[in-house]
Amino acid sequence: MSASAPSRSDRTSAAFAALQHRAGGSLREGVMDVRDVGLRLVNPVRSRARRAPFVVVVLLVLSVGLVGLIVGSTVLQSQSFQQAKLDKEIATLHTQQQSLSREVDRLHSPGSIADSAGALGMVRNTNPAFLRLSDGKVLGKPKPAEAGNR
Amino acid sequence: MSRTKRPMSRAQVSRRRLRMCVFFVVLLFTVFGARLFQIQGVDASAYAAMAVEAGTASTTVPAPRGAILDRNGEDLASSVDALTLTADPSMTADNAPQIARLLREHLGKSTDYFDLIDELRTPDSRFVYLAKDVPAWTAQKALTAVSEAGYPGVFSEKQTVRSYPGGSLAANLLGYTNGAGVGVSGVEGQYEKVLTGTDGAKTFEVSQSGERIPMGDSTVTEMVPGQDVVTTIDRDLQYYADKRLAEAVKASSSDWGLAMTMDVKTCQIVQMSQAPTFDPDARTGMNDANTVSRAVQNVYEPGSVLKTITMAALADQGKIAADTPIVVPSKMVIDGFPIGDYWEHGTLHLTAAGVIAKSSNLGTIVAANQMSDATMYNYFTKFGFGQKSGVGLPGESAGLLKPGAEWTKANHATIAFGQGISVTGMQMMRAVGAIANGGSMCQPSVVSDVVDTDGNKKAVDNGETTQVVSKEASRVVTRMMEAVTAPDGTAPAAAIEGYRVAGKTGTAWRVDPDTGRYIRGQNTVSFMGFAPADNPRFLTYIVLDKPYSNAGGGSTAGPVFHDIMSMALERFGVAPTGAKSPKVKQTW
Repeated sequence: MSASAPSRSDRTSAAFAALQHRAGGSLREGVMDVRDVGLRLVNPVRSRARRAPFVVVVLLVLSVGLVGLIVGSTVLQSQSFQQAKLDKEIATLHTQQQSLSREVDRLHSPGSIADSAGALGMVRNTNPAFLRLSDGKVLGKPKPAEAGNR
Repeated sequence: MSRTKRPMSRAQVSRRRLRMCVFFVVLLFTVFGARLFQIQGVDASAYAAMAVEAGTASTTVPAPRGAILDRNGEDLASSVDALTLTADPSMTADNAPQIARLLREHLGKSTDYFDLIDELRTPDSRFVYLAKDVPAWTAQKALTAVSEAGYPGVFSEKQTVRSYPGGSLAANLLGYTNGAGVGVSGVEGQYEKVLTGTDGAKTFEVSQSGERIPMGDSTVTEMVPGQDVVTTIDRDLQYYADKRLAEAVKASSSDWGLAMTMDVKTCQIVQMSQAPTFDPDARTGMNDANTVSRAVQNVYEPGSVLKTITMAALADQGKIAADTPIVVPSKMVIDGFPIGDYWEHGTLHLTAAGVIAKSSNLGTIVAANQMSDATMYNYFTKFGFGQKSGVGLPGESAGLLKPGAEWTKANHATIAFGQGISVTGMQMMRAVGAIANGGSMCQPSVVSDVVDTDGNKKAVDNGETTQVVSKEASRVVTRMMEAVTAPDGTAPAAAIEGYRVAGKTGTAWRVDPDTGRYIRGQNTVSFMGFAPADNPRFLTYIVLDKPYSNAGGGSTAGPVFHDIMSMALERFGVAPTGAKSPKVKQTW
């Protein structure tokens, strides 16, 4: 087995000889022999890196991304439903607010107040008179309000 | 020599078939290419729009209509959310009685139970209206009740409805909106563009079944709400005047009545009532006779109130004063037309103030004969008769004042005491307002400001002020008018204790609109006055049309004036000046 397989130095020498032959022996004259400076051709270094960690990392990144996407999507969906629910609540409260405002407007209207005042037995005085606070003088001629004058 | 056709070799046949195939393939791709060019190049935008439309849905965001407010910011009209209830009879027919009972229970008695059942059972229909413009809170309760009871097929559509919290309060001034929400009369109609906002829109992605995609794209175009309109009306005074006028119309059996009060310093109308009227909130009484705005659209002959204008014209020329002696004959015949006073009398010796206080037609004619037709016509034109008042309400009439050049002697005589001329109530307010305001006439207004959505107020231009007669002339006529409310005048019931009140009664014959002739025994009675006479602030005008036959301006309209004017003085804190009314001689 070892006899048939040439050693690394033999392979190098053979390659060098072939190179010399193609160059027509010109290397001999004027060109420095590579062996003189100690240079030699080397085989490419065979990569010994393992593929498994890379695959694991890629799978991990993909998995995390996928899970993140699912979680994000679920959260957004959930928030979307929450938003829809809150929108509905806003609409309901808005409607309720309008209802209450309208009720206040009705109770606040002059007709409603006049009715309430009338129910309490109050009557309107159609003879206006004013009390001037600065000197206590009564302006106008006050008259008692007439019963039934609403 | 005949040419024999050589049969084609197989190779030739194949080549020929190949060429044919190539031709058809090229033709096919040419057609495809042309169609592609049409879709991508020519109709690209249309197809893109169709594609977008197929995957999106849009809803309109209605812009609320602006509110109409009184001078103190109280709501007179506003917009509220409403729902229109609809149903699919194919889904509701089986449960119609139960659904109708629930709806009636929540929507109130305005909905008819049997009508609802008929609608819910409409044959061969997938869509019916059950109730329109129901306030949202009421409709929502009804929908919830139907839904909770497990009856499908009842739906709703969102809308906006106009609410008038005061009901019929100032209805003829405010006007109303039609079913489409467009203002058709009053302030609603006049300020339609200002009150109307710009609707917004929501566009969002939908699935093929039409469901909204929760995380899909959506665009929102914000709506712009309408602007608020601030009127010059005082809500409380308006309410009281509405009520007081309605009582007077009923008590006097009048066809209709009108009551208006104006601030003579600014010409702002603070109250404008009409009876009978309508309720735009409940949508009741909405016929033409009730919805017409009589203050600006109804013309009538004003009668003796117009004597104040005749006297103002004479006083401005220096031809009359309150104590100017006038010999009043017992009767007159002008152009064959007999004219008398409302009471029988012989020759009277009245002062000009006495002519106004007693409301003598004959005395007014004698006084008016001191000026020519042209002069009198010019003064009446200066006072705004025959022209719109410019109050800013839709459908205003200009009234009818015959050109002076066409007047007969009878025209000159009758127009002087308010017959043979047609006016609107608003024209009368503007003209007599000038007398109350020292001879300066301004344009009546019912709207003071417009408020945008940011709360910025913008004043409405309410025209110019013109001096129509001198201050002295207005003072002279005011003195004459004070005699009317004196104990020996024609309207002592219009006097207000502690205040100096100037006024004038009016009792005019009514004209039959069909024949154009006066109707015996049918009158339009009125009273117009201002207070305090020594520093005028408010002018109030009462008109009662076709009251019972004995009704007079002083006795029927006077008390209404008294009550509404008292309320106005009290509401605005106008204290009496304490000055005594000057004694003016009525006879000589």
